[in-house]
Amino acid sequence: MNAMIRNSIIAAAAGISVIGSAVAQTTAIMNGEVHTVAGGVIANGDVIIRDGLISQVGADLIPPTGATVIDASGKVVTPGIFAPLSSIGLEEISLDAEANDAGPNRGEGFPLGAALDAVDAFRPSSTLIPVNRAGGVTRALAAPDPGDSLFAGAGAVIDLSGEASSVTKPKAAQIAVMGYGGASRAGDTRMGAWAMMREYLDEARSFAANPNDYVRRNREDRFTLSDLKALGPVISGDQPLIVYINSEADIRNLIRLKNAYGLSVVIAGGSEAWKVAGPLASANIPVILDPLFNLPSQFEDLGATLKNAGRLNAAGVRIAFYNPPGFGAHNLRLLTQQAGNAVAEGLPHDAAIAALTINPAQMFGLDDQLGSLEPGKIADVVIWDGDPLEVSTRAEAVFINGERQDLDNRQAALRARYRDLSRGDLPHAYRGGD
Amino acid sequence: MQKLRWTALAVLMLGACSQEGADNAANADAAEQHGGESAAANATSAATGSKSDREEGPVRPPVDPYPSTYAPYPSGAVLITGATILTGAGDRIDNGSILIQDGKIAAVGAAVAAPDGATQIDAGGKWVTPGIIDIHSHLGDYPSPSTDSTSDGNEATSPNTAQVWAEHSVWPQDAGFTRALAGGITSLQVLPGSANLFGGRSSILKNVPSRTVQGMKFPGAPYGLKMACGENPKRVYGDKGGPGTRMGNMAGYRAAWIEAQGYKKQWEDYWEAYEKWSAEDDHEEDAPEAPARDLKLETLAGVLSGDIRVNMHCYRADEMVQVLDMAKEFGYKVSAFHHAIESYKVADYLAENGVCAAMWADWWGFKLEAYDAVTENAALVHAQPNSCAIIHSDSAAGIQRLNQEAAKAMAAGNRIGIEIAPEDAIAWITANPAKSMGVLDQTGTLEAGKMADVVIWNGNPFSVYAKAERVFIDGALMYDRSDPKRSPRMDFEIGQQGNDFTGGAGQ
Repeated sequence: MNAMIRNSIIAAAAGISVIGSAVAQTTAIMNGEVHTVAGGVIANGDVIIRDGLISQVGADLIPPTGATVIDASGKVVTPGIFAPLSSIGLEEISLDAEANDAGPNRGEGFPLGAALDAVDAFRPSSTLIPVNRAGGVTRALAAPDPGDSLFAGAGAVIDLSGEASSVTKPKAAQIAVMGYGGASRAGDTRMGAWAMMREYLDEARSFAANPNDYVRRNREDRFTLSDLKALGPVISGDQPLIVYINSEADIRNLIRLKNAYGLSVVIAGGSEAWKVAGPLASANIPVILDPLFNLPSQFEDLGATLKNAGRLNAAGVRIAFYNPPGFGAHNLRLLTQQAGNAVAEGLPHDAAIAALTINPAQMFGLDDQLGSLEPGKIADVVIWDGDPLEVSTRAEAVFINGERQDLDNRQAALRARYRDLSRGDLPHAYRGGD
Repeated sequence: MQKLRWTALAVLMLGACSQEGADNAANADAAEQHGGESAAANATSAATGSKSDREEGPVRPPVDPYPSTYAPYPSGAVLITGATILTGAGDRIDNGSILIQDGKIAAVGAAVAAPDGATQIDAGGKWVTPGIIDIHSHLGDYPSPSTDSTSDGNEATSPNTAQVWAEHSVWPQDAGFTRALAGGITSLQVLPGSANLFGGRSSILKNVPSRTVQGMKFPGAPYGLKMACGENPKRVYGDKGGPGTRMGNMAGYRAAWIEAQGYKKQWEDYWEAYEKWSAEDDHEEDAPEAPARDLKLETLAGVLSGDIRVNMHCYRADEMVQVLDMAKEFGYKVSAFHHAIESYKVADYLAENGVCAAMWADWWGFKLEAYDAVTENAALVHAQPNSCAIIHSDSAAGIQRLNQEAAKAMAAGNRIGIEIAPEDAIAWITANPAKSMGVLDQTGTLEAGKMADVVIWNGNPFSVYAKAERVFIDGALMYDRSDPKRSPRMDFEIGQQGNDFTGGAGQ
């Protein structure tokens, strides 16, 4: 318990902006099946939320005076779902150029990569946010998609409150693309991709060592100064580098690169990661994967299997889930279904819940504040009407920063408007409209 | 990643369409079942112009030049007992039994007698459903691996490519077929993509691996025609001569139907003239000359005569109703709207016109015409009297879990008070697609006399944890999760170094 109190003090001292909007709201969630993620499952558990933080977790707690009491008997209580890699807030309509800021167009030679910052395009009013929030998603990494550079830019951890202050941690990770995705940006060969990656890192290191000297040097202008500057925290190992990569051979190269440069690396994709599970565990490299991916879509995916998540977890690799590339961020609400399928293929249920909550928090250095139900942590809490991984289960109540969220959204409004198709006294356009 | 992304998007954007099969009957039985005489159906070719024509008959385009060679694999009598059975015809039988014999369903009920020697399967605690049917797939025409070499789904060279047939692109070695089998898929409709106003003919397959696509073709299944509304044709042809607008799309369809009407009449006039000529005692003139065949118009004429089923990729409510009026204008029927994101806005129109809506459970927002999705779409369609709701995949991943997609759509409906039981929702992925594809008389439900396309699930199929344990197709056990020897492996996947995985259906 002391550690937890200490954590809350650390969180407060860090001045994290997320709790800025929390009013002094006290909520007592009573008698639920509480998946703490930190300390197992409490069959008839209570969670007390106060001032945006979790103040108590346990059994037979007494609701504080004045608290809003929620009877969660028969319900399941978990930390909020944390989507570790998405374009949420950057992309409203994937194929509408104006409504998609997820990344630079390919093939147009746009010069910047690492310097891009998701915060610049993040739109808290996106309709994707309330739609996914209704599915129990409370935090996400909003991250750029790569354009013509190996580096896509910095992603930000955000909350799904939809409020203007919803950026939790800007520049939480840098994104890169290797494997065939990298090769296709580097002369269409993996040799090009690795050579260019090393060159980027060498130049960034050189720049970081002495920026004033570096800018005066006679050098090729292959890389922009703003990209090299943005790679500073990657070079120092302070900022995780999320790398899209799939094949066993590429992943082994990535482990060597991590060790050679002292990087903090997270794999995205990782269709063959299970083949390198031991080395990945030893190198402390987490994997963000789509547990449903099981087709040999490319030669780098020949080992794709539904067993990927279970095998990686069994080997001690920290895993999390994401929607596959090409699906934007519209259905982060399906991460729970993806996790359920991983369980059906051998991943333990508690490991699946961890993959949806504490593991992403850990990837971005936020596990002292988010990802589990422990006193002192930020109160992102979901009450489900059943097993959160089951397809028929619904999030009944969602708390972000301790505040109960509105679960209404544009889809619900459309459904309500057209529930009754009869003509009525006025056209459908006069119905609803909130 | 970007390449993958764009591959996925390409399929997403251009892959979706709805098609229906023409009555291109493979045999007399099927011809009888599916009825209609037409320009496309009903004939074999004969010599032209000679005096022997009277004996040989008039020229008729071949009905089935690439006939199915599918034959069921050997099977014995199998009695499955103790299962929760969803028949697909609306019934649920708890602790029920089903007898498979000679590749057909022999009996279904609470108690079923089995012949001596029947293999008995104790399915206590398990669920049994009809084989799952996906009305919208691109397996084989957008196969794995997904490369330029294998991208064969969209003949995006002209807005009207009604002359192309999906079966001529289908690569039977697509590993996706095996994964779909592990998800309980026993039949599927493979469609061309949706770049074009008229994308081409579909092919209805049994999900049984074969060296040839003919070896997979569903015997006697009608052909379908894929058409597409909205954004995709505009996007592809907007700067390539059009159509560049939705009104251009409509004008393109209508001009083609007018041409097809003329073509159909040419052939009908020719047959009539031939009959007249044939009835004459002595021929002062040569036999009437047959019109020149036109593959594109042959398919469209097949739609107009009711032999080829139209599956129409359409997202928006207003466009769907435009298309219904167009179908009336030219006297054909739309069998299903595919994707049909806004079906819930016009579910009454769809039901009144007897049109199915094939939908996703929750995909949305990848383009503007998919912005108004609601998770209750299928349930709201289902709630209309005489409706036909279908859950489809349009995805090599989604086809592996149509049961889960139906489960989500069912749960969404139940939450707003539309009571949908598993015995109802199972029809969205069995009987209703079979009906729309024109094969309901042969499969799609567990009823005596039908093909024994049967799935045994390890639990309630509307659970995320459910898995197909055994899949029977025409009575033959084609997949058994516990037996690697009953798990197909495509050529592309065998012999790959160091895979250390099954490489089969349950991969």
